[in-house]
Amino acid sequence: MERIVISGVGFVTSIGNDRATVSRSLREQTTGIERFDFMPGVELPVKVAGTIKGFDTTAPLWPGWRWPAGQTVPKDVLRGLPPHGLHAFCAVEQVIADARLTVAELTAEDTGLFCASAGSPRLMRHYLGQIDESRGQRIAPMAVVSTIAGTLNFNLAAHYGIRGAVAGFVSACASTTQALGYAFDEIALGRLRRVLVVGGEDLTWESVYAFHGMRALSRNADPARASRPFDRDRDGFVGTGGGAALLLESASAARERGAPIYAEMAGWGQSADGQSVAISDPSGRGLATAMRRALAAAKTSPGEVDYVNAHATSTPAGDAAEARALHTVFTESGAHPAVSSTKSLTGHGLSMAGVMETAFCALGIKEGFIPGTANLEHPDAACAGLNLPRATLPESPRVVLKNSSGFGGSNVCLVLRRGEN
Amino acid sequence: MISTIDAKQRAEEQLAGFPQTVVDHYLAYAESNDPGLLDAVMLGVLEFYLAKPPAQPLTQMPGSTRLMEDLGVDSLAMVDTLFMAESLFGTTLTDDELARVNTLDDLRGHFRRHLATSAAHAA
Repeated sequence: MERIVISGVGFVTSIGNDRATVSRSLREQTTGIERFDFMPGVELPVKVAGTIKGFDTTAPLWPGWRWPAGQTVPKDVLRGLPPHGLHAFCAVEQVIADARLTVAELTAEDTGLFCASAGSPRLMRHYLGQIDESRGQRIAPMAVVSTIAGTLNFNLAAHYGIRGAVAGFVSACASTTQALGYAFDEIALGRLRRVLVVGGEDLTWESVYAFHGMRALSRNADPARASRPFDRDRDGFVGTGGGAALLLESASAARERGAPIYAEMAGWGQSADGQSVAISDPSGRGLATAMRRALAAAKTSPGEVDYVNAHATSTPAGDAAEARALHTVFTESGAHPAVSSTKSLTGHGLSMAGVMETAFCALGIKEGFIPGTANLEHPDAACAGLNLPRATLPESPRVVLKNSSGFGGSNVCLVLRRGEN
Repeated sequence: MISTIDAKQRAEEQLAGFPQTVVDHYLAYAESNDPGLLDAVMLGVLEFYLAKPPAQPLTQMPGSTRLMEDLGVDSLAMVDTLFMAESLFGTTLTDDELARVNTLDDLRGHFRRHLATSAAHAA
């Protein structure tokens, strides 16, 4: 089978809106989290978020949005996008430039586009309100395609003229990791040569604060301490939004263009907990199964893994379950890879998290660093025996495992390796 | 008729991100009720919604300029423009009326007639 590589990355994230800034933030542990008013003027118990800087999408509709100077966003694209669609579009533009993709390659019949987002509850609320107030007389033409889950694949596929395959994934926080897995399979099977994988989420009370209903969000008001995966004192996740994207393609296609090769994707695996709609299996059994399947697919032993980018969102139940899964796969086989959660810096990007964090891992492999877990002061007892670096390590990992879990018990894991340029 | 206070609120809510000239003309119209100012508002709104900027401002183009063929106005831009007119002026437009708007003059005439009728009713 031909090798499959990551040959372009793009970010509009809380820790930076370009590759260099994101890399620096990961190395220097610059947080993207700050105080945030989900409902201006209302005192809510959740007070921080991983904010996107340089963009303003607080206006209900696109004419009022702002983005960094120098970024061109065509109006015919903009009018179909939700707020996170703007971020995702800008991230994809970075990938296209980074990977040196031509229009001919983008529109070729062997180029696909796999996306995930939760849609835009804010924009949907706006449009549904219009329909309701007008008693059905006023329905904005883009009310559906700009708001429902799938909005990213609808809009980006049309704009870029994608012809190979277009799909959306709705496995909550495992969505874009799953998208990467199926993109890998499509390339491995020879049906596609490359797939753009894109994730995005709105950072609004409609998208994020709603998680407070299940007490999943941190109520810690200190931006420097609210997101603390694996810490004894963690009390929930910190939300973030934005857009992230990467290009997965056959190594030969990347080499033909002289594209940068960040990392090789060596395999993936998935499983399901078969238990709760929202809470991970406390034993970590499902995630352990997904990790083992990913390692087996990549023909990699636990001892070969240098770094695990954990799903760990900073929730009490989820992190403990992941720690148990890590013990099952690694500690019990005598392996002690570095384990960290970059959500300590970014916050949790929900369906975008997988592709964003896989791109972080790709950066770490290419540029030679292993991100640490910021804000980790007192590791949870469940983590005893795990190798949890707090500071970023100046080491180039050869093999990385990326974990993701989502509602419904989805567990998805990817194995990345150092690639050759 | 729109009160000046209403107009300021509507401009703030509906015209965020639009060129300042559109906002200024809208507020001036609300204050003076001068139908001559309507063109600058409605054509400014349409111009803003165009995917590609026109060769010259729409207010300087011949009234016979065709919306679809000459300006590339698609149904989405047209509906967005008409929705904005509804929000700014409180007018409502039927699908049949929309189908009869083909040129810049049609658009101008349409809003002038509607707003004149509204003003007469208000009086």
